[in-house]
Amino acid sequence: MPENEKYIEVGWNEFANYCDSLCKKRNVILRLMFATDERAIDNWFKVYAVFSEQGKDIFHIPFFKLRGANLKYKSITGCIPAAHWYEREIRDMFGLIPEGHPDPRRLVFHDSFPADSHPLRKDWKISENDLKEWGEGVVKKVPYDFMKVEGEGVYEIPVGPVHAGIIEPGHFRFSAVGETIYYLESRLFYTHKGIEKHFESMSFFDGIKLAERVSGTSTFSHSVAYCMAVERMAGINITEKVKAIRTLLLELERIYNHIGDIGNICAGTGLTVGNTMGAVIKERLMQLNERLTGSRYLRGVNMIGGVTKDIFLQADDISTTIDAVAKEYKKFMKLLLGTVSHVERLEDTGKLSKEVAILLGVTGITARASGINDDIRRAHPHLIYNNVFEFVHYTRQEGDAFARMMARAEEAKCSMVMIKAIIEGRYTGDLHVEAKEIPPYSHALGYTETPRGSVFYWVKSDRDGKPLRVKLRSPSYCNWPSVPFAVHGNIVPDFPLCNKSFNLSYSGCDM
Amino acid sequence: MWLELLRNMISKRQAIKFPKSIQTSPDGIIEIFSPAKKMNRIFGKSLRIRQVDAGSCNACEWECTALTNPIYDIQRFGIDFVASPRHADLLLVTGPVSRQMELALKKTYLAMPEPKLVIACGDCANDGGIFKGSYAVKNGVSNAIPVDYYISGCPPTPAIITRELLKLMRNI
Repeated sequence: MPENEKYIEVGWNEFANYCDSLCKKRNVILRLMFATDERAIDNWFKVYAVFSEQGKDIFHIPFFKLRGANLKYKSITGCIPAAHWYEREIRDMFGLIPEGHPDPRRLVFHDSFPADSHPLRKDWKISENDLKEWGEGVVKKVPYDFMKVEGEGVYEIPVGPVHAGIIEPGHFRFSAVGETIYYLESRLFYTHKGIEKHFESMSFFDGIKLAERVSGTSTFSHSVAYCMAVERMAGINITEKVKAIRTLLLELERIYNHIGDIGNICAGTGLTVGNTMGAVIKERLMQLNERLTGSRYLRGVNMIGGVTKDIFLQADDISTTIDAVAKEYKKFMKLLLGTVSHVERLEDTGKLSKEVAILLGVTGITARASGINDDIRRAHPHLIYNNVFEFVHYTRQEGDAFARMMARAEEAKCSMVMIKAIIEGRYTGDLHVEAKEIPPYSHALGYTETPRGSVFYWVKSDRDGKPLRVKLRSPSYCNWPSVPFAVHGNIVPDFPLCNKSFNLSYSGCDM
Repeated sequence: MWLELLRNMISKRQAIKFPKSIQTSPDGIIEIFSPAKKMNRIFGKSLRIRQVDAGSCNACEWECTALTNPIYDIQRFGIDFVASPRHADLLLVTGPVSRQMELALKKTYLAMPEPKLVIACGDCANDGGIFKGSYAVKNGVSNAIPVDYYISGCPPTPAIITRELLKLMRNI
């Protein structure tokens, strides 16, 4: 078991108190919460919560066991609001009921999914007819009540799931007074593909292909986190060279995402020239990705125990492209910050206060733009983040769309410096370490920082070294609940802008 | 109605057949033209695309967005993306069709005016790809709505999408 994971078993009725006191005593953040069905091993359901302590590279992982007919436990949402989606998800997927949870509605499954059906249980079965009815969506088996805002002049605007642009599906319901959004309820999980269950049907070595396809633009980060989890579980020590290549590609992914996102924010403010410039720089980086790895999204590079390609052979190509990009990027940012209409539209739009951000446990750019100094690369150093660079850390206090744009801009600049530094360093070692057999009944965490925020994988093997449970938590899953808080009080036409400034993945959230 | 029928019988006038294409169930849609003929006769050299994400990982969407950037600039070929299915000639579907998205996809398909084309774009739209066999997906677009053309790749690069769309248009 990896050293920085501290598992503590607590009784099911003491779990909430334990988590509460952990939060009060130490400065911890809830990173993820999940359940496992280990009835095949010892006849228990287990629920884990992963907290990471700030300032120390330690994960506190309290867990409790449940079995029998009474699958209930005391909800921790009351003391840790960040747990509210996790607990609803556990209820949907395993049927473990959090008592005292403020929201009794289902999270993942829509109306026509049968009641009392929990896919992640090992003995779960569903009839062909139920599947058909689920797809057709005509029979409403468990109706979902949208929150109603009542009062004079309040009206609802339903939007989606199919939107006007080329974007992913999700349903939004605005309750507006005049043009001002009073309340927004988002209904997501349209792209739910059953990824966690699907992981269990393949081996750990094949699972990497699936991990790469959880969220398209964070492909490489997801595969790094997945590989890291499996490697830590199996006790595989990767070489310095592999670490360097992974770090380099992570940063390349970060740059193309951040610059692309800034370009998209321009589309929200109607600054077409900025949108186009962002798209061109992004395309340049995507083509670099293709030249380096054969895939524009860096797919097929990672494998358990190493990487498939030696990126350092093309170091010249990388450094010339990054130089060219840095030059264009400087011009691009000068244009954006010199355009008053653009900056004014962003300032004070979509404000997310620090208090709400802390309570909801948001991560990544969103957290750093709201004044939370949280970056997995620093909090839990992995790969070569700890020993090579002192990367500069950016937090902004405003929490508005402009802060999120600037946090991206600064990070992209920082990533370019990092890439140059990695290329100049000399790293030795094989590209690939022989992958050992996966030990039975072992488990580990894997994590890294995607362009959107932290991603976590937790894997556990069964008797034959096959996946018993693969839990993944993408950054968008933490950040989606914060969007309604940010858009409150903004006007409806500014919603696309707020949404773009968060730039959350639907697919990564819906799994 | 009876009177009208009688009148028709006497005058030997033939009743105008109800166009088959106005059938409302997507399962019962009958092809009136082959894809090539559709392209030739109706769309000419202009194609308006409505893109629908039916559970893709978002990589295909970004490649479609990249088509409109100044480097690929697909508008120069007369192809463009539109905001509403009512304006579209072609439905470009990405993703393996997650079950929670199936209804929305069918409704979008029905909202398009005839004649219409459907392209399944990307490996998972073709047959489910890596997600094939999962409980929550339909294993490809053809299990939900009729598909005229397939583009493979995970994701297909903008260059491939452009090439395939042009091939479709040139195959007149």
